[in-house]
Amino acid sequence: MESIIELKNVSKEFKILNRHEGVKGSIKDLFSRDYKIVNAVNDISMTINKGEIVGYLGPNGAGKSTTIKMMTGVLEPSSGEILCNGVIPYKKRSENAQNIGVVFGQRSQLWWSLPVVESFKILKDIYQVPDKDYNDMMELYSSIVDMENLLHKPVRQMSLGQRTLCDILAAFIHNPAVVFLDEPTIGLDVAMKAKIRELVKTLNHEKNTTVILTTHDMGDVDALCKRIVIIDKGKMLFDNDIEHLSELFGAYRTLILSLNKKGTKCDEEHMKKLSDDVLSLLSEEFSDTSAFSLSFADDKTEILIDESKTSVVKVLNAVQKKYKIYDMHLQDISTESVIRKIYEGGI
Amino acid sequence: MKLKRCLSLVRASLLDSLQFRGALILTFVGNLFYLLLIYYLWKAIYASSDSDIINGMTFSDTMIYLVFASALFNFMEMWIVWGIGRNIQSGQIVVDLLKPIEFRSFVFFSGCGEPIIKFVTTFLPTAIIVYFISGRAIPLGKNLIFFTISVALGMLINFYINFFVATICMYTQSIWGINIMKEVIVGLLSGASVPLAFFPETLRNIVMYLPFQAICNSPLQILLHNEYPVSEVLVILGIQLFWVLFLMIFTDLFFRVSVRRITVNGG
Ligand SMILES: Nc1ncnc2c1ncn2[C@@H]1O[C@H](COP(=O)(O)OP(=O)(O)O)[C@@H](O)[C@H]1O
Ligand SMILES: [Mg+2]
Repeated sequence: MESIIELKNVSKEFKILNRHEGVKGSIKDLFSRDYKIVNAVNDISMTINKGEIVGYLGPNGAGKSTTIKMMTGVLEPSSGEILCNGVIPYKKRSENAQNIGVVFGQRSQLWWSLPVVESFKILKDIYQVPDKDYNDMMELYSSIVDMENLLHKPVRQMSLGQRTLCDILAAFIHNPAVVFLDEPTIGLDVAMKAKIRELVKTLNHEKNTTVILTTHDMGDVDALCKRIVIIDKGKMLFDNDIEHLSELFGAYRTLILSLNKKGTKCDEEHMKKLSDDVLSLLSEEFSDTSAFSLSFADDKTEILIDESKTSVVKVLNAVQKKYKIYDMHLQDISTESVIRKIYEGGI
Repeated sequence: MKLKRCLSLVRASLLDSLQFRGALILTFVGNLFYLLLIYYLWKAIYASSDSDIINGMTFSDTMIYLVFASALFNFMEMWIVWGIGRNIQSGQIVVDLLKPIEFRSFVFFSGCGEPIIKFVTTFLPTAIIVYFISGRAIPLGKNLIFFTISVALGMLINFYINFFVATICMYTQSIWGINIMKEVIVGLLSGASVPLAFFPETLRNIVMYLPFQAICNSPLQILLHNEYPVSEVLVILGIQLFWVLFLMIFTDLFFRVSVRRITVNGG
């Protein structure tokens, strides 16, 4: 696959003045040399290929926006190398800007007092988009979102969701090779989030645009990203396909079974005995007892299965030889809970 | 093709400024009050003097000069220091830095709308009114062409000075003090608030070596003195051109150095 962005051992340090409180403190600050170094990004390396949608995740202050600013060329790395489309972004900022689109969730690049169609036309001119390409793009947009309602509205009269939608459309207008979306869905309602996901997905598909997305919404990640990169405190924790994320914990799934007839008194004692019985049954059946562990909640028996060692079907088979299964339910470990564990330092 | 980009930005800026008709009317009214004030001020100055001519200027010379100076300075100003300064503080500047156009050109063309509108709504009417009230005391001739060129150069000089001051905001992270200082210095030394003829000799000599007088004083000298030989006018324009080139290169280098060390605010 053809790579489009490359980061090699990239770090960024910020020098921050240790500020003091009060008027006296402020005056002291004027002459202070008391600096603190923040390692916002610490030795990050990755290669992003053409057409990928990469989820760039991490808790607040992890260094995501800083990385994006370096990849777009507004910040210069303290050390390391970045190549975007074959150019060094901060050295050729304007040239690089021609090939990328950027949306910073809380900022807008649209002309505030003008109808959004005017902004699109200005962008068309400054990115020197040919008429035909522009019209094709507008047509594509119209097929995804209801443009008629948006185009003639001044940006300042738009809701946050509508504005964000328009900002994303604006970022794609010159058909850039890469689009950076920094927390685009922050503060939006469910319907608008869904629309934005669809939009990004379609544009990525139609134009083979590489998308780098930061978000705190795992719904965005599940809907869009095949690959995710997780950083925390500036350091990279994970860079792989999203399927591999769960493997960090082993490929666990939880099988939840109802083994009691309706009306059975399911007190703690009964459930405990039941789960012990099931455990001994499974132990007879399988040689590797580390493949599962048992617990119970209310009247349900829960079997946590390590799928790298055995399969859910085999366990189910073994159980139903002796017990009647009244109801069953299979639960994946969600991306959300995996990521939360990573943030919390579970790995 | 490049021209189209610039025109598009100018057009946007025009549309944008037209949204704020209220502000335009306010500037107009404010300017009227200012003119009234300086009228009485200078009347008092001339009344207290023994002679009708001070520093080679009659009362009406001075008034004509000052009315033009305020109208000129008013339409030249782009207010970019506030705009850029605020954008640096809020971090919004990233959005403009990521345009495929050099930042300084982007700021210039996106700030063009207001001067253009003010030229039509303030400067031209003022010029016409003064022309008739003063009994056609303003010479009309080749000076108008030179004046137009000189105004364009003056505007560029003013823009570069503003851009320089805005760049300083990247280091200080505060705008207010710096901007006030700039306004006082430029307002005074450009000849926008007092004709340079009224400056003490030494100060005037120093000021002539600074870029500020090339903003307002130069075009007005050309406009009001049709009798200047062409060679003298060309010298004035030449000095302006020198400042334009010097500041163009200087602000570009300064911005390049500064933008490397900016730490764009906000997540
Ligand atoms: N302009 C700046 N000056 C000083 N420190 C900064 C600046 N921008 C970011 N930081 C610091 O760098 C770290 C990473 O910030 P950021 O990249 O914005 O995180 P994220 O986008 O992942 O929430 C934080 O600790 C933040 O305080
Ligand atoms: Mg951020």
